[in-house]
Amino acid sequence: MPLLYFQLVSAGLFAIGLYGVLARRSSVLIVMSIELMLNAVNINLIAAASHMEGLGKFNGFDGQIIAIFVITVAAAEVGLGLAIILRMYRQRGTVNVDEIDLMKW
Amino acid sequence: MEWAWLIPVMSFVAAPLIVIAGPKLPGKGSFVAILAIAAGFVLFWVVFSEFLGASSGSPPECTLASDHGPLVCDYDVQWFQAGLDGSDDSVRLTWGTLIDPLTIAMLGLVTFVALMVQIYSLGYMKGDPRLGWYFAVHAMFAGSMLTLILADNFLLLYVAWELVGICSYLLIGFWHERPAAREAAKKAFIVTRIGDVGLLVGILLLWREVGTFSMSAAFQAATSGAMSEGVTTTAALLLLLGAMGKSAQFPFHVWLPDAMEGPTPVSALIHAATMVVAGVYLVARAFPIFQAYDGDALLVVAAVGLVTALLSAAIAIVSVDLKRILAYSTISHLGLMMLSLGAFGYTAAIFHLLAHGFAKALLFLGAGSVMHGTEEQDIRQMGGLVKVMPVTAIVFSIGALSLGGIPILAGFWSKDEILNAVSQNRNPVFIVLTLMVAFMSAFYMARAMFVVFFGQLRQGLDHAHESPMVMTLPMVFLAILAAGFGLISFNWPGVYIGFGGFVFFRESEPFHFNWLIGIISIVLALGGFWLASLFYLRERISTNSIQRRIPWLVDAIEKKFYFDEIYQWIVNRVVFVISRFIAVFDRAFVNDVAVNGPAYTVRRLGVTLRLHVTGHVYSYALAMVLGSVGLIIFWWVRSV
Repeated sequence: MPLLYFQLVSAGLFAIGLYGVLARRSSVLIVMSIELMLNAVNINLIAAASHMEGLGKFNGFDGQIIAIFVITVAAAEVGLGLAIILRMYRQRGTVNVDEIDLMKW
Repeated sequence: MEWAWLIPVMSFVAAPLIVIAGPKLPGKGSFVAILAIAAGFVLFWVVFSEFLGASSGSPPECTLASDHGPLVCDYDVQWFQAGLDGSDDSVRLTWGTLIDPLTIAMLGLVTFVALMVQIYSLGYMKGDPRLGWYFAVHAMFAGSMLTLILADNFLLLYVAWELVGICSYLLIGFWHERPAAREAAKKAFIVTRIGDVGLLVGILLLWREVGTFSMSAAFQAATSGAMSEGVTTTAALLLLLGAMGKSAQFPFHVWLPDAMEGPTPVSALIHAATMVVAGVYLVARAFPIFQAYDGDALLVVAAVGLVTALLSAAIAIVSVDLKRILAYSTISHLGLMMLSLGAFGYTAAIFHLLAHGFAKALLFLGAGSVMHGTEEQDIRQMGGLVKVMPVTAIVFSIGALSLGGIPILAGFWSKDEILNAVSQNRNPVFIVLTLMVAFMSAFYMARAMFVVFFGQLRQGLDHAHESPMVMTLPMVFLAILAAGFGLISFNWPGVYIGFGGFVFFRESEPFHFNWLIGIISIVLALGGFWLASLFYLRERISTNSIQRRIPWLVDAIEKKFYFDEIYQWIVNRVVFVISRFIAVFDRAFVNDVAVNGPAYTVRRLGVTLRLHVTGHVYSYALAMVLGSVGLIIFWWVRSV
């Protein structure tokens, strides 16, 4: 399978995630959309890694290692993000980002 | 001579000492000031005798100013240096003392008169609640004035120049409970300041041309032709402006009569004998600059002096306030000194400066004694005081006769020297007008003397009493000098070269007596006294008849030629209008636009720009995405 297919899937996934981040009100959905974008990046990385094996200085593991890093960081990020959302719900009684405008002037 | 700097420093030390420790000392510390100036007077004699014994090269600081010039001893210490050693643009500031015949003459005058006046003040100011402050400022004045005389560079001279100005201000306004004294103090300070600006600019101009504040370097540059004619003349005229302010020359003469609001000893010391002659001293000191290039600037000096002398002599004749008569007489005589300098009569000017200093200090002290005894200042209320105040009457008469130019007394010789110089070096018009001044001078001195002391003793003056010894004794000493000082002008072959030879800096100038001028001046002086006696002693002629005959002239003179009115008009209509415009400019432009403008702009910008901070996460995210997209497009376009 050519690399382009993987990249198209990845780009589509990223666009869906981006749309979710920009358009959703609920912060839970925003976190999920961010996860989508991260996974789009992962697909991109792994596909590139498998296709670039033996090309120059690439040895086929770089992309996979970075993908594992991303997964790890994403797990931590989800934990942190959900904790923040939980606190926010307890404090303000909502998870709707429209109503969270404390940083406004 | 290397200790000459101690003379002013002692008085400078005395001033704060009196302020700090005065209240605990007997006499509120007044004796500290007197001791300081007495020590200065003693030191003056030491310096004088050392100077007479010095010659070129011994001590090494002494050199001859020029081939025939006097001995000049310059002791200077480096104050500070800016720039690198030996570099062309490095500035080296020194302060030090310069001792030459002019300095010696002035030192003697200032230390002696200051000593006499301070002793006199013990009696005159007795019981004043601010006696300590009075003597502190007196000491500070003495220190500043002596610094002014001893200064060997223009910067130090300027500092001392301003210091005597502030001391004068403080002493004129000494009785500041009286509004007139406050106004007079302010007037004196502001009017002299106008001249001081000229002096400062002149000094800076010389500094720009010569690269140092040193006087000798400036004179060297002026005489050797290193300074161009235009610059030299400009510098001379700027210095003259300062001199005119300080010496109350036309058109800056208005402050001196008002300065009579101060205590009378102050008038005697500051506004007759010492500070007001600082202007004459400055012109004399900077004479090489004035004299360079045929002395074009000296013509201006002569004209200013002559106009001043004429105008103020006329006002002195009609004035009815004893102190103001003396004040206008002072202005007139300062004008004569300026005129003399302007007519290349250097010796004559310095000689008259000293003779006038002693005589006028004496006259003021005499006036103070009269006011002390009678508590009266208006001469119309006085008369016949010789019967109750004999000592004061006699010494005052000596001073008046001396200034009036009666032969053998000091004022005669010095005035004669001036007439000589003017007749030799200036247009005949000058000598005619100068003789007029001499006549008027004799007349107003005679008027003051006759009206106050002779004739019938006035009713209501029986209570008048002679002043205590502490006041009369200084007057007697001054009277001896006012009478006999003229004798030092003579040349005693083989013994003494005469005052002219001592003080003149170009070449030895023997005393010369021009019989024609001398006889005319004697006739005029005696005529002045005789005419005054007709008016005021024998009352053959009534002043009212004169007033009826030429009312416009008498009126103009009595109104002091409307100078105060003109200046008031200028201040109201010109200065205030300009300052109002400047105030509006300051408010509208400097304050509102230049200062508040940036602050207001920032504030408005903040108010407007903060609207983009919505506080919504997705708007930030959208901005981030758009920015990323923009960057990607930018890089993409650039790479293609």
